[in-house]
Amino acid sequence: MTTGPVVFDPMSLPVDDNVNKYTFCVELKSSQWLLQKGKMIAYYGRIDFNGFGRGRLDSILRTSFHSPMHAADWVVAEGSGKMLLADRAFDVNSYDLEDGNLTIRSGNLLAFQPSLALKQSIVPGFLTLIGTGKFVAASNGPVVFLEPPIRVDPQALVGWSDCPSPCHHYDHGYMTGVLGGIRSLTGLGGTSGEEHQFEFVGAGTVLLQSTEVLMAEQPTGAVPQQAGVPGGGPGTGQPGAVPRLPGQLGDLQRRFGL
Amino acid sequence: MLAVSMTGDSVKAKNGAMVAYDGQMAFKKLSGGGEGVRGMVTRRLTGEQMVVMEVKGHGTCYFADRASEISLVSLRGEKLYVESSNLLCTDAGLRTGTTFTGLRGASQGNGLFTTTVEGTGQAAIMSHGPAVVLRVSAQYPLQVDPGAYIAHTGNLQQHFQSGVTFRTFIGEGSGEAFQIRFEGEGLVYVQPSERNTIGGDV
Repeated sequence: MTTGPVVFDPMSLPVDDNVNKYTFCVELKSSQWLLQKGKMIAYYGRIDFNGFGRGRLDSILRTSFHSPMHAADWVVAEGSGKMLLADRAFDVNSYDLEDGNLTIRSGNLLAFQPSLALKQSIVPGFLTLIGTGKFVAASNGPVVFLEPPIRVDPQALVGWSDCPSPCHHYDHGYMTGVLGGIRSLTGLGGTSGEEHQFEFVGAGTVLLQSTEVLMAEQPTGAVPQQAGVPGGGPGTGQPGAVPRLPGQLGDLQRRFGL
Repeated sequence: MLAVSMTGDSVKAKNGAMVAYDGQMAFKKLSGGGEGVRGMVTRRLTGEQMVVMEVKGHGTCYFADRASEISLVSLRGEKLYVESSNLLCTDAGLRTGTTFTGLRGASQGNGLFTTTVEGTGQAAIMSHGPAVVLRVSAQYPLQVDPGAYIAHTGNLQQHFQSGVTFRTFIGEGSGEAFQIRFEGEGLVYVQPSERNTIGGDV
């Protein structure tokens, strides 16, 4: 017979640390944390959860929260006790910022201390945290830290810190010539799905999750050597062999980043 | 994945949860969760349905379901309360039954009834992500999000706690409007993930 599972009580739960890879414990001592709705799974003690509204929470809203578009997704937890945070059984980790800044995909951020200020990033769908404090973020698989210059796959990007410059990057080299012209006008011929990347230059750190295949530095304009990739590998010369489905990565909308 | 070694004894498992076995095994579907006619009727009435098979033989049998994490619970005469959807496998010596949970069940979207397992032996419960086991004692009651609750053992009273205020109705709800409060002595199993519940969006 195996030994019993580890049983946690308020004494043995870690303070502001991971319980396991997927669960994080936050200790509140009549202090406040901001968390995304529905990420609390259990708590000991007396903790109140309040949505943003008028009145008491006005001050924390003023100092720590500056993204009205996301206000409905966030709550303030205040009181004393220990609470457990988790998100769809994803990996969760805490990060410390010291007088720094970090931009993160809005869905990945679970909670943060009110000493940090949350702002909406210029990049749609991302949030920026500025200041000093701790925050908790989820990722699908462990997080990898990389230094710019780097191009990353949009799906694998979790966030970046210390402000490297993010921009879109397209590999459009294969769209020249007659066939390429037809391809770019009609979207026929298919694409690799990897011709669009985020490029980071400048000082800082880029955070990636390990779900998508990581994009290492690629020669500009080159197409991956894959079957079905125009100009890339075997299987070329039959543009239009596969009818384009709505929403397929090869369509014009995606190609122009709309 | 759960590996069960058997020497002529049997276990009850969720129907279709076997992924592999070696040795000699016989699989028999048990109607009504192996609780006889009365259990069958109760389960049909309560909607807490559980399709169970009896596995008997010599060798090792492997059980798994949708890549869920599995926690083993050893029971020595206590009662385990678990959602039927989270129960993977029990020793044949354990009795299973149905019990009324009240509002908590409704808030989980799992119906008003839950499954009980009692006796001496081991039960395997499933969770989305590894379960965290939390102790509840007299001075430390515990509040759990209904969507993250999977099971509990011991002598616990449950209260359905609601933080619904007028703000909830003007769209400024906290998203944590409903909790189950456990008081008494016992263990509560929670998963690092939330099922979709009625209360989840409020």
